[in-house]
Parts: sequence; C-alpha cells; structure tokens
Amino acid sequence: MQTISTDVLVIGGGATGSGVLRDLAMRGMRAILVEKGDLTHGTTGRYHGLLHSGGRYVTKDPQSANECARENAILRRIMPHCIEDTSGFFVITPWDDPDYGDLFMANCRKTGVPVGELPLAEMHRRERVLNPQISRAFEVADAAADSFLAAHTNVLAAREYGAQVFTYHTLIALLRVGDQVVGAVVEDLRTGERKQIDSACVLNATGAWAGKVAALAGVKVTVLPGKGTLVAMNHRMVNTVINRCKMPADGDIIVPVHSVAVIGTTDTFVPDPDFYGIEAEEVQFMLDEGEKLIPGFKQYRALRAWAGVRPLYKDQDVANDRDLSRTYKLLDHAQRDGVEGIISLVGGKWTTYRLMAEDAANLIAQRLGNTQPCRTAEEVMPAPPFERRDTGNHADGPSLHWLGKPLAAIEQTQAYNDLICECELVTRSRLQTAMASGASNLDDLRRMVRVGMGPCQGGWCIYRSSALLYEEHSANADFSIEYANAALLHFLQERWRGLTPVLWGDQLRQARLDELIFAGLLGIHRLRDHARQGGGLVTPE
Amino acid sequence: MQYDTIVIGAGIAGMLAAIGRAKAGERVLVIAKGHAATHWTTGCIDLLDVGAGDPLAGIAALIAAQPDHPYALTGIHAIESGLARLQEICEDGGYPLVGSPQQNLLLPTAAGALRPTCLVPVTMAAGDARQLARKGSGEPPLLVAGFRELRDFFPPMIAANLQIQGFNAEGVYLTLPPLAHAADFSTTGFARLFEQVAFRTDVGRSLRKLVVEGGYQRIALPAVLGIHQAPQIVAELQSICGALIFEIPTPPPSVAGIRIYHLLEHAFREAGGRIQLGAYVQRGEAHGNHLEAVFSEAAAREQRHRASRFILATGGIVGGGLRAIDAHHLIETALRLPLRTPASRADWFFPDFLAQPGHPIFRSGVAVDAQLRPLDAKNQVVYTNVVVVGASIAGCDHIREGAYEGVAVATGWVAGGM
Repeated sequence: MQTISTDVLVIGGGATGSGVLRDLAMRGMRAILVEKGDLTHGTTGRYHGLLHSGGRYVTKDPQSANECARENAILRRIMPHCIEDTSGFFVITPWDDPDYGDLFMANCRKTGVPVGELPLAEMHRRERVLNPQISRAFEVADAAADSFLAAHTNVLAAREYGAQVFTYHTLIALLRVGDQVVGAVVEDLRTGERKQIDSACVLNATGAWAGKVAALAGVKVTVLPGKGTLVAMNHRMVNTVINRCKMPADGDIIVPVHSVAVIGTTDTFVPDPDFYGIEAEEVQFMLDEGEKLIPGFKQYRALRAWAGVRPLYKDQDVANDRDLSRTYKLLDHAQRDGVEGIISLVGGKWTTYRLMAEDAANLIAQRLGNTQPCRTAEEVMPAPPFERRDTGNHADGPSLHWLGKPLAAIEQTQAYNDLICECELVTRSRLQTAMASGASNLDDLRRMVRVGMGPCQGGWCIYRSSALLYEEHSANADFSIEYANAALLHFLQERWRGLTPVLWGDQLRQARLDELIFAGLLGIHRLRDHARQGGGLVTPE
Repeated sequence: MQYDTIVIGAGIAGMLAAIGRAKAGERVLVIAKGHAATHWTTGCIDLLDVGAGDPLAGIAALIAAQPDHPYALTGIHAIESGLARLQEICEDGGYPLVGSPQQNLLLPTAAGALRPTCLVPVTMAAGDARQLARKGSGEPPLLVAGFRELRDFFPPMIAANLQIQGFNAEGVYLTLPPLAHAADFSTTGFARLFEQVAFRTDVGRSLRKLVVEGGYQRIALPAVLGIHQAPQIVAELQSICGALIFEIPTPPPSVAGIRIYHLLEHAFREAGGRIQLGAYVQRGEAHGNHLEAVFSEAAAREQRHRASRFILATGGIVGGGLRAIDAHHLIETALRLPLRTPASRADWFFPDFLAQPGHPIFRSGVAVDAQLRPLDAKNQVVYTNVVVVGASIAGCDHIREGAYEGVAVATGWVAGGM
C-alpha cells in the first residue's frame, strides 16, 4: 500500500472541503483532499445554486443573515465566473402575511443585508410573469451560483499552491493511535488500490455524512440529515431570484440557473443521507407553490427532480428541524471529546463556505504552528479550462449564463454541426476539453459542461457523448469499449432516478422516446454483459 | 365531405388500415397531428424479440399466455397477411423488405449491439450477424464507415462493440467530399447528399480505396443512403467499391423509417386516399354508441370531420395518442376513450430504467374486443363504429417486447380488411 504524508487531510470534496483546501494551501500547509465521488458529489452539487443575500435569514437567524451578506460581496469578487448577478426579489403574495414586509426591511437593516423596496410597476417591468396580486416587493443582492464550477475553481487554485486532490477515493478507515488520529486509509474506486495518508490533522468536511466519518475515529457527531428536494423547470421564466417574503418554508424560492429555473425546496428529515426517495407529491407541492409566484408555473415542463441532504448540526434539542441554526459549527474534538488530530466542520451553507473554511484553517494553523494569515478573501481565482470559452465580454448582454451568448458564438463560427448537446449548446471541442480535464464518467461531464441537462435529459447527446468518450480514450490500447458502455448505462440509470418523480405530460413522452432510442433502436440493454468499470472511469452504484 | 372511413394517425397501423379501406373502394381520409413514430424507428419490421429465434412460434406461445395481448386479438393469420401486404407495398415502391416471419435476424445497431428484427429493407440485409466475419475465421473484417460530421453514427464505437461480441470489425471515418461544404449534416441532410450522383460517386471512390488497401468484403454505412432510391444507391456504391454494403439505422430522424412512411403514403394516394397532416384531433361527437364526427384543431378554429367509421391510430405515449395529464392520470387524447392503466402511480415505473419487461405504465392503452372496438371498464363496446389499432391498444409494451411494427401491421391489416 502506498503511503503519503501530509500536514492536513481534508475529507469531503464539497464547497467546504475545497474551500478549506485552498485556504490551507495558500498558507503554505501541505494538504490533501479526498472525496468518494466527483467534486460536489454530495450536497454541494445538489442545491439550488443560490448565492444568498442573507434576506432569507434576517428574522430567524440574524447571525447567518449577516454572514451571508458579507460573504456574498466577497464571493462575487473572488470568483466572478461562478456567479451570475441576477439580483433577487422578496415578494409578498396573497398567501403571505402583509405585515411581514416592514419587519423584513427592519431586520435586513439590523443584520446588514442591503435591501430596497421596489415599486410594483418596476418589479413587473423586470419580471413580467410574476403574480399581479403581489402586494410588495423588495430587492436584495441574491445571485445564481454554479456550485460545481466553484468547487472546481477552489480546487484548481489550491493545486496551484501545491495541494493534492483524490476524487473517487472512499474512506476505509481513520487511523488512531491512542487518543490521536494520525491519518486515514482510502481506496481508489477506479482501481481498487488503497493508500495510507499520514497526517498531523484530519478535517472532517463531509456535511451530512460527518456523523459517519466521525464514528470511524470513535467520536460522536450528531448531524440531522434534512432532505431538500428541488425541481428544474425547462424555462428560465425569470431572470431574477424570486423569494416569498415570509418566514422560510418549503417551495418558496425560484432561482434562474443557466438555461433553466430551479424551484426549491423541502426540508424532510431522513435517517440516512445515502438512502432517500423523491415522491411525485413533493414535486406537485412545489409546482403548486410556484404557481403562487408565477401564475401558469405548473404548465411549464418539469425536467428533473433531485434532492440534497442538508448538514444540520444538532447541538441542542429543538422542536422543528428548520429551526436549527443555519450557521455552522467547528467541532474541535481534542477539546470536545479528548481525541487529538481531528476537527469536524458541520452545518453552514454554500454562501458562507469561505468563512467556514477560514475558521477551520485558523484552528488548524494554530495547531500546526502556522502563522500565515488567511488570504482567501483577497485573491481572485481563475476559471478552470473547460469553462474558458468564447462567450464574449461578461459585461456585455444580460449575463454570462444567458444561452444567447454561446448561441452567438456558435452562429459566428457556423458550428451547428459540431453541437453534441443541442439543448445546452455544448460543442464537440468543449466536451473534449472537459474529457481531458479528467471526467470519470458521463455524469461528471454533465456537471462540467451541462451536457444532458436540458429538456431531453441526454436523450440525444448521451449516445454521442459516450461514443466520443470512447474515441477520446481509444488511443490507449488497453481502453475497452466496455468502460464506455458502463458509463452510458450508468448515466441512463442516474438520469432515470431524477426523472421518475417528474414523469407526466411531455416529459413522460420524452422518457418513452428515449426508451425507444436506447432500448429499441440502439439496443443498449443488450450490451449489459459487455459493460464494466475500468480504464480510469468509475461508475458507482 | 362525408367519408366512409377516417383514420386518425399516419403511422404504419393507420396507413395500412387506410390503404386496405381505400383499395376496397371506400372514400378514406387520414388526419394526423404530424408524422408518426415511423420517423423515429429503425425502418425494420419487428415482430417479437425472441432473439434469433422464430417470432411466429414466440407469438403463438404469447397468445396462449396472454389472451388480452393485441396479437391474441388479431391472431397469427392477420400478422402473416399484414406482413404480406406491407411487403407488397414496399416491393411495388422498389424497396423490398426481406426476411421471414419464422426467423428473426440479428442486425448491428448504431451502438454496435445486435438487435433482433424480422423483416428488413434490402439495404440492410447484408448486416445479418450470421454473415459477419467472426474473429479467428480468417475472413476480412467488417468495415464500419461513417462521417465525423454526422453526429449520430460512430464507427469506432460500433466496431469495438462488435469486436467484443466476437466479430471482426474495424471503424473508420471517411473524409467528406469537398462538394458537401456548408451542408446540413443531419441524417436527412446526408440522405439528400447521397441522392446526388457526384457525392455518392466520391464516397464510393473513398470506399474503393479502403477496399483495395484493406481487402474488406463488407462495409456498414449509416442508413442515410438516400430517401427515395436507397437500393439503387447501395447497388451503385457496391459496384464502385467492390464490396457488399449494408445500412445501420441511425437515431432519429431515421431515414430508414421515413422511407417506410413515404412508401405507405404513396400507396395510399395511389388507392385514392387523402391525407391531412397538421390536424390534431382532440374530441369527438357521438350519438349513443355511434361516433358521428371528430374535431381537429386547425388554424384558430375547429374542423369537423364526419365519417361512417373511424380508425384510431394515434399511437401510445410516444406517439401522442396517450398522455399523462398529471402525475396520476393518463388519457386517450382524441376521443377520451377509457384506458387500462396501472392502479396507482406507485406501479408506473421500475427503479431500473432498462428493467425487463419494461415499465408497467407503457403497457397502458385502450382495451379492445376481437374486432378491435374500444371497450369500457365493464367490457362494453364504447363506439360500435370505432376501431383502435397500433400502439394505442393496451396489454403490450410495443417497444420492449420488440413488437412495435408487428402489432401495427397486424391490427392495421385487420382494420383495413373489415
């Protein structure tokens, strides 16, 4: 077994883990991150993509609100390519308490969340589809964020400072000598090979899985996994984040993300973050809530439903799950449990990931005798190679993610015949760049360049993508077509999981057409005996 | 105008029924929302997925086991007669379908899998897996050739999957002839290119070069070798390059499927029938259990169509004949006929996308009697002058059973001959 030595082992490749990795590396500490899936495989890649202004928390969780407001400004500065400045509205619909508006404004001011009341005529001018019965509207600094791109960006920056990242590495054991955690054994899911990583400090940044990881060190951490279900709709019916102006509840936010709009979310306790389902009723509920903000919302086509599992840390007994603090906790297990060499970072939210990372890195630096200050709020990070594309000037036109931009680029170069994914305008060359950036399966490619995220959910592009994946690797004589077949079957199955809760109307018809193509015309299921994992690809269950 | 028969839907089932009626001297109108699933399918005629076995024998067993299956209602004779009629239509159109209902063929797909089917266009016949070179046989490998510009056909993948199944195959991309610049490189765009003599001659010469260098005797190309003269184009390419050529169906739009539609349309018009596309039938008008008329959505108005008999050939969920209006309810879109569906949404799907034998929701449809008349929940005939054909009929997963065209042909023949 290979043994590697490092200062800090970060477990978890979500927003928090990748943020801490960057911070540690910038301070000159040797750091390694391990993640059992792709980056953002857990909750980070399954949230609605909202950079909070803080408005949502001004009444219930003022500390969170203030943290969000400060971090919002920082993230816009350090990773502009990950954030689309959509702005955000809080609106009072006939179903909401009209008196909450004044309280909301007052609490925004108290918590340092920039806010302004918006004349209704102005609101309707900017977002014509909003409910005409909305009685008040407030504007805040919400934005749409690409959490996957952000994690990649942080990891890229961390690598520049010498950090190492092992994705698709699962944690087998935490090594403990007496009351000291001294490292971990991890297994590469692609090859089955194990590595021992010796470290002075382990940071448990596994979110909803933190309890499971801490248990490997013999430490008890109680995290309540709260399932949040989200639904992507096939239209970007608004260009602004729309929030209901009321105490936070289910289905009260619509976020325009890239070419779609995402509505969320629910909050349901689940016993195990690895096992949960999504019911058609949850989707129906959210469509009903969406209808209150945008009349006709239910008539749009729901593309896909998914759920993320929130890492809500339980440090006290509270009656309602949603009342748990959204702010985060840094658990120093040396102090708390008498176990040295391990720290857990739990709770929190995407918007405050950098601040959480800073706190964690401060504690680790102190333990390791590193005196360098945190610089993560100052240094601007570059975009990863697969994101560097000619979409014109960022300041020119509605937004970076506006589909009109890649379309204009494609029209200019007459690249129609080069489009692999027509829904998301992904060209062959962009797909190949992403493949070369280390995609381990087609789902990774989906997160990288959005191939298969549009209305057809891969019906047209995934056969093409799997063939190109094979061609990309086939220069290597050991690369078997069986690996590409496994990647294709894996994608189709993953997609099916997200589709079943939204299958009716046109999307059911689409699913049947896809079955006609994949099972009827291509006979993909007949290749099941010729599909296996390997060749650097990984297709987890 | 009063028609004898109005057929709603322009797929294989509807067109075959329409041709039968028109040939019997009736005044027949076909109205359809648009093109049917023909444009999405392989252009081959699947009877039943029994691997490389005898589909008719498989159907006999199926009829015994599932008395409500559409094949059980039509019987074997209708299947054989329907196939014979379809073969005759295709033969007359210069595009013969070859094969036997007693012997499935295995043909390579655009993913390189082997797919069982029954009757196949003559342009695909040389893809029969029994004729393909096996590894270690000493025979020259199959050459799978395509164009990089065609995004729905990948020779390296096809060849590699054939290899792994024990065949000897190689994949190659051909250089596009210079005269094809700035073209539309969809499957139909390529089909139009192949209808140009200069283009196909150039492709033939490229293939000739490969044959001379590599000793290939058999070449697979994407099924884009022309829309109207595919057998002649294949023959021409064969004579230029000196090897056998066969086509592999592509993902939609499927040129091979479009050819079948054109042949059926031609035969129907020859028999005196009328077709009106772009007419979406969304309701009917009945007197008791007699359907008097149907109404189609046209430009900003409804159009009333009267006939003595109506043939419902609107397809299943993919064709648009059935639609889930929400998470729990499926409707028949043209006449709101009662449907046989799973009892609750919990029974609609399996967790595994490619689960055998297919998701229960896709077996939904209209229950029919032996004359294919629609039945209600109490097995009473809803309309005595309505006949249901093709994928609208309950009790069969047309795609996963490999019976899509077979059920269409059998029910279309029954409806056309009554």
